[in-house]
Amino acid sequence: MAELIYGPSYRAYDLGPEHPFSPERQEMALDLVAALGHTVQRIEPEPATREEILTVHDEGYVRAVEALSAGEPLDDAAALGLGTPDTPVFPGIDLAVRSLVGGTLTGARLVSEGRATRVLQFGGGLHHAHPARASGFCVYNDLAVAIKHLTANGLWVSYIDIDVHHGDGVQAAFYKDDKVQTISLHESGQYLFPGTGAIHELGDGMGRGLKINLPLEPFTDAQSYLEVFEMLVPRAVEAFGPHVLVVQAGADAHFDDPLADLALTTQAYEKLYRRILDLADQFTEGRVLVTLGGGYSLHAAARVWTILYLVMNDLPVPGAIPKAWAAKWAERLGGKTAATLHDADPPYERLPNRDEIAQRNQVVAKRLIDALMPYWF
Amino acid sequence: MFVRDIMTTAVITVAPDATLEQVCEIMHARNIRHLPVVEGGRLVGVITDRDVHSATSALCLTPSQPKGLVREAMAKEVKTAHALDPVEDAARTMRSLKIGCLPVLDGETLVGIITGIDLLDALLRLTGVDQPSGRIEVRLPDRPGGLARLTALIADRLLNVHSILTYPEGGQVRTVLRVNTLETRHLAEALRGAGFEVLWPVDKPWRS
Repeated sequence: MAELIYGPSYRAYDLGPEHPFSPERQEMALDLVAALGHTVQRIEPEPATREEILTVHDEGYVRAVEALSAGEPLDDAAALGLGTPDTPVFPGIDLAVRSLVGGTLTGARLVSEGRATRVLQFGGGLHHAHPARASGFCVYNDLAVAIKHLTANGLWVSYIDIDVHHGDGVQAAFYKDDKVQTISLHESGQYLFPGTGAIHELGDGMGRGLKINLPLEPFTDAQSYLEVFEMLVPRAVEAFGPHVLVVQAGADAHFDDPLADLALTTQAYEKLYRRILDLADQFTEGRVLVTLGGGYSLHAAARVWTILYLVMNDLPVPGAIPKAWAAKWAERLGGKTAATLHDADPPYERLPNRDEIAQRNQVVAKRLIDALMPYWF
Repeated sequence: MFVRDIMTTAVITVAPDATLEQVCEIMHARNIRHLPVVEGGRLVGVITDRDVHSATSALCLTPSQPKGLVREAMAKEVKTAHALDPVEDAARTMRSLKIGCLPVLDGETLVGIITGIDLLDALLRLTGVDQPSGRIEVRLPDRPGGLARLTALIADRLLNVHSILTYPEGGQVRTVLRVNTLETRHLAEALRGAGFEVLWPVDKPWRS
């Protein structure tokens, strides 16, 4: 059983009708959960305060967001990553993004106060926001603010980022921090935004050896992904010994994602979620805070996050999708059929260079583990 | 990019009458492999870790002793660079002679040193990622206006190009751009629509 955090205020973080980071993605998933006959009990969070934002972000940057939010022009907005095609600004964006941060922070409080062990924040995951810079659809970093709260309350955090893009903002916020381990699995920066997340990015100072990046080849399939996850993540978490896991559960490593190039399936996500909950049971007495994140195929993200909800609540994952749900969202899904919760099996023909990709991922994972070994013993 | 942009200015030097033992100690302590040899303010040679190894090797006919002098083991014919030389000139000299460093002179004064490692740093700077960005790779015909048309299209979409790396390849020009967007697939589609040969991102090998 997981606590679910979600509020209507999340709708306000809307970057435009053509923008992929649409709040409709999680609405469709919640609607699908309901269509499957589950009553969703949710906690509606308060927006994070300015002071809470300042635990991670520079005041000058926050002032810039506030000014743009109030409609004041700002000369150097683009230098701060604001008002770009990826991260546009609109009146009220400051409060809109603080609402998402508030949700993740509420989840962190439930955990730090011992009122919940499993929390699902049905939004947020703005992992590209840097302390003084917006980037990649992200203005404030809800994950970093939540992690700050957890460490301020004496809890060590292992952050696991399965979004297809490198979790650069979270890594940057804790690069020298010895209470926060960050582990990001992503499509290699050689190919995909934001370009960072190479294996040599290991942290600095006291945080050295606690910042872990596994860059994967384009078109990595489920089997290879799960294989290298298993090689790396359990050992890394065990070596650190955290009190709580924070997970950015972006769904954009799915093969249908229009922005990226990995080839996971809904079946792979189900396995991955179950494995992450196992790790929480094994190493953090079940304490885990999960957020959403990227995931720009509506058809894939709605199903993947429905599965996330079901798995976190120990509910069975059924085969069929209710026809009423499919009919209701048919137009939005642009003709994609959604008869079953899981992808067809096999979802696509075997990729011609599948083995080469898997082998290369193994080599990279081994190199990374070799680099980490001195910090693990 | 000029030699002065990548050279090390705090140069550690030795005198010709220093001992090989002393050279060895400096190289280990500072983790370096090349030492300019200076006498009376003038560059008179360069000694490398390889010179020390060769001079003292048991395989040598008359091996030097630890107290042997630098002037016996150093290279006396030294190629040098000027601070305003283009980096590629320095790289070409080092590559063609297969040498690991060039002392940098201003007149007769030693003002810096450039080594193979500095050239690798330069390469990393040219190809590296210092801003969050996505990668687009395009093959352009080697004709006037190709790059201009490409960047104009990107600018029309209000995107910012953080870096461009471009090099000739078989009569065409391969161009790697880093652009401030997650939506490189979207951009690639538009570029293909405008007739560009986009090498990355490629179409996915499955239908979706």
